[in-house]
Amino acid sequence: MFRVDADRPAHFCDGLTRRDFLHAGSLSLLGLSLPGLQSLKAQAAVPDSDVNCIMLFLVGGPSQLDTWDMKPAAPSEIRGPFRPIDTNVPGIQVSEIFPRLAKIMDKVSVVRSCNHQATAVHDTGHQMMQTGRLFTGGIEHPHIGCVLAKVKGAKGDAPPHVLMPRPIGNTGGGMPHGQSAGYLGKTFDPFVLNADPSAKDFKVPDLLPPEYISAVREQRRKSLRAAIDGSVKAFESSSDARLLDANFQQAYRLMSSKAAREAFDLSSEPDSAKDRYGRTRFGMSCLLARRLIERGVRFVTVNMFETVFNEITWDIHGSAPFSPIECYKNEVGPNFDNAYSALIEDLSKTGLLSKTMVLAFGEFGRTPKINPAGGRDHHPGCWSSLMAGGPIKGGQVVGASDEIGYAPKDRPVSTAEIAATVYQGLGIPLETEMIGPQSRPLRIVDHGVEPIRELF
Amino acid sequence: MSRISVFALLLGVAFSARADDLSILPSSAVLDGPKVSQRFLVETASGGFFTGDQTANARFSIDDPRIATVSVDGTVSPVGDGATVLRAKFGDRIATSTITVKNFASNEPWSFKNHVLPVLTRAGCNMGSCHGAAAGKNGFRLTLRGYGPEVDYDVLSRQALGRRINKTAPEESLMLLKPSGAIEHGGGVRFSEDSLEYRVLAEWIASAMPRPREDEPGVVKVTAVPPAVRFRPGQTQQVTVQATYSDGRTADVTRWAKFGSTDETVAKVDESGQVKVEGRGEAAITVWFASLVDRSTISVPSELKDGSRIFAEAVRRNPIDEINLKKLASIGIPPSPECTDSAFLRRAYLDATGTLPPIEVVTAFLADVSPDKRVKLVDRLLQTSEYIDYWAYKWSDLLLVSSKKLPPNAMWSFYRSIRNAVETNVPWDEFARRVITARGSTLSNGAANYFVLHRDPIDLTESSSMAFLGMSLTCARCHNHPMEKWTQDQYYGMANLFSRVTLKDGERGEVIVSPAPDGDIVHPRKGIVMAPQALDAKPAPIESRGDRRELFASWLASPENPYFDRAIVNRVWRNFFGRGLIEPEDDLRATNPPSDEALMNWLVGDFRAHNRDVKSLVRTIMTSATYARSSDPVPGNEADTKFLSHYVVKRLPAEVLLDALSRATDVPTPFGGYPSGWRSIQLPDAQVANAFLSSFGRPERVSTCSCERSAEPSVAQALNLANGETLNQKLRDEKGAIARLVASTASDAVVVETLYKSALSRPPDEAERNRLTGVLAEATAGLKDAKETAAARRQAIEDLYWAILTGKEFLFNH
Repeated sequence: MFRVDADRPAHFCDGLTRRDFLHAGSLSLLGLSLPGLQSLKAQAAVPDSDVNCIMLFLVGGPSQLDTWDMKPAAPSEIRGPFRPIDTNVPGIQVSEIFPRLAKIMDKVSVVRSCNHQATAVHDTGHQMMQTGRLFTGGIEHPHIGCVLAKVKGAKGDAPPHVLMPRPIGNTGGGMPHGQSAGYLGKTFDPFVLNADPSAKDFKVPDLLPPEYISAVREQRRKSLRAAIDGSVKAFESSSDARLLDANFQQAYRLMSSKAAREAFDLSSEPDSAKDRYGRTRFGMSCLLARRLIERGVRFVTVNMFETVFNEITWDIHGSAPFSPIECYKNEVGPNFDNAYSALIEDLSKTGLLSKTMVLAFGEFGRTPKINPAGGRDHHPGCWSSLMAGGPIKGGQVVGASDEIGYAPKDRPVSTAEIAATVYQGLGIPLETEMIGPQSRPLRIVDHGVEPIRELF
Repeated sequence: MSRISVFALLLGVAFSARADDLSILPSSAVLDGPKVSQRFLVETASGGFFTGDQTANARFSIDDPRIATVSVDGTVSPVGDGATVLRAKFGDRIATSTITVKNFASNEPWSFKNHVLPVLTRAGCNMGSCHGAAAGKNGFRLTLRGYGPEVDYDVLSRQALGRRINKTAPEESLMLLKPSGAIEHGGGVRFSEDSLEYRVLAEWIASAMPRPREDEPGVVKVTAVPPAVRFRPGQTQQVTVQATYSDGRTADVTRWAKFGSTDETVAKVDESGQVKVEGRGEAAITVWFASLVDRSTISVPSELKDGSRIFAEAVRRNPIDEINLKKLASIGIPPSPECTDSAFLRRAYLDATGTLPPIEVVTAFLADVSPDKRVKLVDRLLQTSEYIDYWAYKWSDLLLVSSKKLPPNAMWSFYRSIRNAVETNVPWDEFARRVITARGSTLSNGAANYFVLHRDPIDLTESSSMAFLGMSLTCARCHNHPMEKWTQDQYYGMANLFSRVTLKDGERGEVIVSPAPDGDIVHPRKGIVMAPQALDAKPAPIESRGDRRELFASWLASPENPYFDRAIVNRVWRNFFGRGLIEPEDDLRATNPPSDEALMNWLVGDFRAHNRDVKSLVRTIMTSATYARSSDPVPGNEADTKFLSHYVVKRLPAEVLLDALSRATDVPTPFGGYPSGWRSIQLPDAQVANAFLSSFGRPERVSTCSCERSAEPSVAQALNLANGETLNQKLRDEKGAIARLVASTASDAVVVETLYKSALSRPPDEAERNRLTGVLAEATAGLKDAKETAAARRQAIEDLYWAILTGKEFLFNH
């Protein structure tokens, strides 16, 4: 039937001899792998109504007053330490901590009136910004990217939704953060990178066999498994068994797909690119996100931070274990500014920006009045979000806050409306219903929730 | 008694009609008032089953046209008071029904509650995605599916400056202009100006809009007609709906009812109640009207050759088999034969103890020739500590034991109380009572932690109902349950059973749980305190003293409670068959009936007769022939996943799978803080970090729902098995089963045999043995150096075992 030699070129049942299983991937029966970026670019000429999305989740909650909604006229205990600067769009100013963003503002719109009414803990905002809902009644709603995965499926070998570098962990509330497929089921969970793309020896865990399993052995395992698994009739009528088979095939496709491998291979990016994005975890995640989108991933969620404890983040309470306000200027701000602007620039250059929404937001804003520790605390009453790409028009400001950035003064935007806007941008009809627990039909956004029309 | 004959009694069907195999349904009707009409169905019947809807082919006539008229489709309308007979002629057969008309001269207006609201509900005005949404729609908010007639009345008659209703010119009312499309309506056209819907609303307005009255009769029962049919694919059936009111009146409410099918591959139903049979099997058509439900069963048997012999010869070991075979026979699905000994051994071990049988047990069991070895195996398994571990794990899932919200010593205390209850096989009602009425220190009485995990009456109401009744009451928190009979009033009555519990910190870091003398939760819509009441039990006086939780515990175990025993029987059943008789396992809605009602009823009766002994239930299930059927389908039962014709394969749960990998490789999985060799199913706590368990769907134990656990395969799982460290390190381990095999003098044939028996509880067949020993020989062919040869052989064995351990035969229970 088949012969396998451990240390010599392997022979396979189809009679082919392969030097390298990775090479074999492109020939494999399973691997309808994409023939690389070249042809991908050629394909891009074909009209494609699909819109992708990169969600940069600014875990911790950026202060609206120190970033995209400056209040220079407010008293010093409100306006904070940073000054506004002009952008390339007349009339729009941003914080001095974002000099590169200021140069591409024509591609980016700011929503300055985001707000939510739930408890002022990180977790609620994470849920609401990633799913459009607060989880109540035991219903765990799906992340927008998981809904997209369910509605549109995978393009080629690439998983439809990738989350990186890691899921949001403990941020104090002990609640789910809304980063799974929830009631849609594990099939639609994001592919989680679980690795730091800025690490020197970065590789995706479990994507490729460990070093001690040679390509020849890997191929032998695959053939043996196929032979042993055979066709036991008992499994034919089980949908889980069929799904398991499909998953193994998908796993093999991923493992052997040149496109998938290339997508995760940051070493082929020139140093200049890495420098532009910044060689930080977030910078390299954004660079990786761009590569993934170029190779067929539909939705990428990048969590800028995994927690808010003992790490310098947007969560500037001012005292340990949280972050001081100055970190915006010397660490968090530049980290974001470099990666974000490089990402927008690159997508714009290849034309992908018109088919890729780029979202950047946190879970809430911060209290306008600087606290005794010199920081700002949680404030879901008002904050700013950035949206760009896809059908989103750039260079606009939607909504406005009051004179101290405490509450929306004009056109308040709810988290459900943010979700509706993303769905609208992705081309998923807002009245789409998913089947929830106990067969309950659940709309992806509630009836009557409108997208932010001004952005389209 | 069959459902038809029960129905016959209820509706007074004269079953002389069965003699000529033609019936009119209903067999008699009272039309009370001038507005009422009644639709009749003409059915052929054979062998006690309705077999065809002939309404469209029948010719109707009324004996006395001064009493009533009938349309060609069988709808009878009143003309004057009196009695007459409706006749339906089909071929040369005639069936009759008696018609009585009363109060024809009455000019009683349409009732808001019994006519106007059903119109609005049927037209979808008050559905959750329109004006029934919590926030309403465009400033117009109705109660969801009309559960609050008073509120809706005020909203329609008073709000929006009275523009919704124009008393002097009803046709100018917004509530007619909008839904009929005369002016723009975001929800589109819901009914036309010449529809009955329009007329009901217009006439109600014109009659000065009588408001809902307290003393108005309400719907007490809803009946689907016909109750059951036995059909062939392609046949159609109109299902009609009769409502019975508290004053004894009945009415045809088909037009206002909502229909659903429990299995659309068998039968589909449209919004008018027209059923079309799509395929073979059995489905229930559920009907909903005014928060009450009923169902009509559509059986579509396959034509089974030699059926009577097959079912006569099928093995019967206990009443489960008798009932199940009857069900299978009724739908023409043949049972698979009994499974092999090795399949039974592996299945029984995994299902009852979550553990893979050790290789010595496999060898001994297969060699054992005693005829009752399977029963003896079951009895042995029920006495093992693994049985205790496994079921303690299961009930810890149910009660959310976890250090996420409990300090470690309290978590352990909770776990030990559960494990102890399993070990002593405490009757299930006592188990529930210990949890529900727990008091004292959370460290000395572990069950008291239930009240630390669920701190408020709302959470306690919903979690307790999910855990012990298998029902979600969450909908009723904010409004009457839209598809069930549970009302918001009942919800807050139930919540008040849990409103008098206090927690205070003890001296040793524990929490002291005790009943409180006061504390009530207020009905948010009515602003009053509902008397404490366990769902449909009798309410207790608000002033009643004592621990109110006792009322709930007593109600759980009372014979009048139909849910408690069903819930646990269904959970245990699902453990063995991978699918509950009711599925999902904790969704015991009336609109989600069991796949075999008779079997459920027998199991519940047997469970009660055995004093709610879970172990006895387990034993009964495991010693049935139904449980021991092969997972290989036979022609005619391939597509069945519901009726137990064959054992449906199921992926091993995360913890069981990890333990099975550990046992098959003889390399334990390390868990931080636990001794080496500790197994997954012994973990008291879902917070113990393990990427494999998370990836394979271990529940987080955050909310009480069987949906927390996932057996769904994912790509991440496949990658984990292929490339992850968990399995690869177990294969490479220097002290594990593979290392020992390699170090021994075992021949390739013995190696293959050992791997198969360890992982799959069976020896390889001849072809497998030859093929795989060939692979092992091939791996070292031509190698001279001994060390090189040994290394190549080891790698080949690892790869072979990897292939076995990632195959479906291993990953699934079958």
